[in-house]
Amino acid sequence: MTNNTLRLSGLCLSLSLFAGTPAQAQDDAKSSSITAKLGEAMAQQCAPCHGTNGQAMTEAMPPLAGLPVETFERAMLAYRDGSRDAVIMDRVARGFTDEEIHAMAIWFEKQPYKAWQNTELEEAYKASEAAKNAMGGQQ
Amino acid sequence: MSRLEQQTFDRKITRRDLVKLFGASAVAATGIFGASNKAFAQSAAHVVILGGGVGGSTFAKYLRFADPDVKITIIEQYPEYITCLRSNDVLVGMHTLDELTFNLDTIRSKYNVNVIIDRVVGADFDQKTVRTQKGEVVSYDKLVVSPGIDFVYDNIEGFNEQVADTTHPHAYKAGPQTLKLKQQLENLPQGGTAIIAPPQNPFRCPPGPYERISFFAEYLKKHNPTGKVIVLDPKDRFTKDVPFKKAWERLYGYKTDNSLIEWVSGSDGGQVTRLDPKTNQVQAVVEDFQADLINIIPNQRAGKLAQNLDLTDESGWCPINRHTFESMRHDEVYVLGDSTIADAMPKSGYSANSQAKVCAKAVADTLKGESPGRAIYSNVCYSLAGQNYGVSIAAIYEVRDGLIQPKGDSAGVSEITDKPAQPILEAVYQKNWHREFVKDVFY
Repeated sequence: MTNNTLRLSGLCLSLSLFAGTPAQAQDDAKSSSITAKLGEAMAQQCAPCHGTNGQAMTEAMPPLAGLPVETFERAMLAYRDGSRDAVIMDRVARGFTDEEIHAMAIWFEKQPYKAWQNTELEEAYKASEAAKNAMGGQQ
Repeated sequence: MSRLEQQTFDRKITRRDLVKLFGASAVAATGIFGASNKAFAQSAAHVVILGGGVGGSTFAKYLRFADPDVKITIIEQYPEYITCLRSNDVLVGMHTLDELTFNLDTIRSKYNVNVIIDRVVGADFDQKTVRTQKGEVVSYDKLVVSPGIDFVYDNIEGFNEQVADTTHPHAYKAGPQTLKLKQQLENLPQGGTAIIAPPQNPFRCPPGPYERISFFAEYLKKHNPTGKVIVLDPKDRFTKDVPFKKAWERLYGYKTDNSLIEWVSGSDGGQVTRLDPKTNQVQAVVEDFQADLINIIPNQRAGKLAQNLDLTDESGWCPINRHTFESMRHDEVYVLGDSTIADAMPKSGYSANSQAKVCAKAVADTLKGESPGRAIYSNVCYSLAGQNYGVSIAAIYEVRDGLIQPKGDSAGVSEITDKPAQPILEAVYQKNWHREFVKDVFY
């Protein structure tokens, strides 16, 4: 393939992206639809306490990786409505809607239940992909 | 505009630079020998990160999560990083500096990140290159700067960097000054007085000075019960002040005649205006104080690198796009952590880690030609008011009305309860948090 062909196909690609993306992005920003990508982004915010991808195995704060969706949701909703005793999780849970909690629950369920130090990057990519598929393939 | 920023670069990126960055086979395989920087950029984007602390290291790791193929380089001045997080512990022997020291070895090997130990001395935002002290010129497609903070001494007469480095350590960046302050606390005469002067807002780790005050009081209670900590504060309120003061009442006799802590607020004249390092006297707005130990924590602004690269505004801090942390001053440049203007988010390691993750996704999206997703941030700061007494502040954040603000009803500090387990659990979680946090950053 010559350089010119490369450039040409690059141009077509950027044109097609330009045609598709901006309008879609605007909708995303305005709508409250929760994508798998946002689920992952929110779940990553839990890592400083619960370990990268929820895979902390040796601490008082429990691992979230591999938790069944219902378990994660039940805990978060109970923290949020104050029916479960909390140190800080009541405050954290009050920052999230039902849909956001659900998206994080799906994401965590797909993460491997083992310590992050013993996890290959490739496994993390696969788990992330599985979570996206579980959300109906939404990006 | 700084002198550094005006400097232009005298050489374009060479094959040697690229080989250094990615290895000979990578350079040969991409076939960019002789190509322009732009052609190189199109074949594989290169994201260069300045600063391998909490923000920079987290960013590198999470950019690798978001994009398996992008080329990532960290340029960091020092081969090792000592976390400011938990460095108050060192003052009272709960941790050693060694236990708080980390490097980028795992970031390099597990996440395929190129690490250059060198100091950045300039950037050319038109050519999209940065230049290091050793003369390397590194070209980037996206530049991410995580420069931390710098200290400002000009509001206190007699106090300056040299005084801080010798007789009056601020110990607000972990390192030799931390050990010096520890020694000064241990050498405090029986019945002696220690002064701690916290800075004006905004500053790194808002609860840091108050945790330090607590640790001093706890140390005195055990080793020097007739000693005293006087706090000369330019402010009337501070973060978590309600749970902190409740803890001081419970543990250190605060508000009694025998209190180990006396706190002078800004309204009561707590602002320190002068230090005499030789006589150990400080002048505050209404009164002079004589002490055996004086620990002034200076006011702060964005790190020197941010200033030199023209990323700061007149406030001394870095304005950023709240959705992505892209600099408002230069295109294709992002700024993370303590040096940024992040509204309600405190200048904490947790915030820097949170911002780095959102920014990493935004950079990956932009490189793929996609629009960045919604930004949701978080912060949790645990502090110790005593070795087994924790207090916390937590919030989830979103961008609303153009500002980063708490999301839902999440923002709040530890409730005052009469449950004895509450502060103990907070202390357990605090220690747990630090162990996991540094793993999320460096492993």
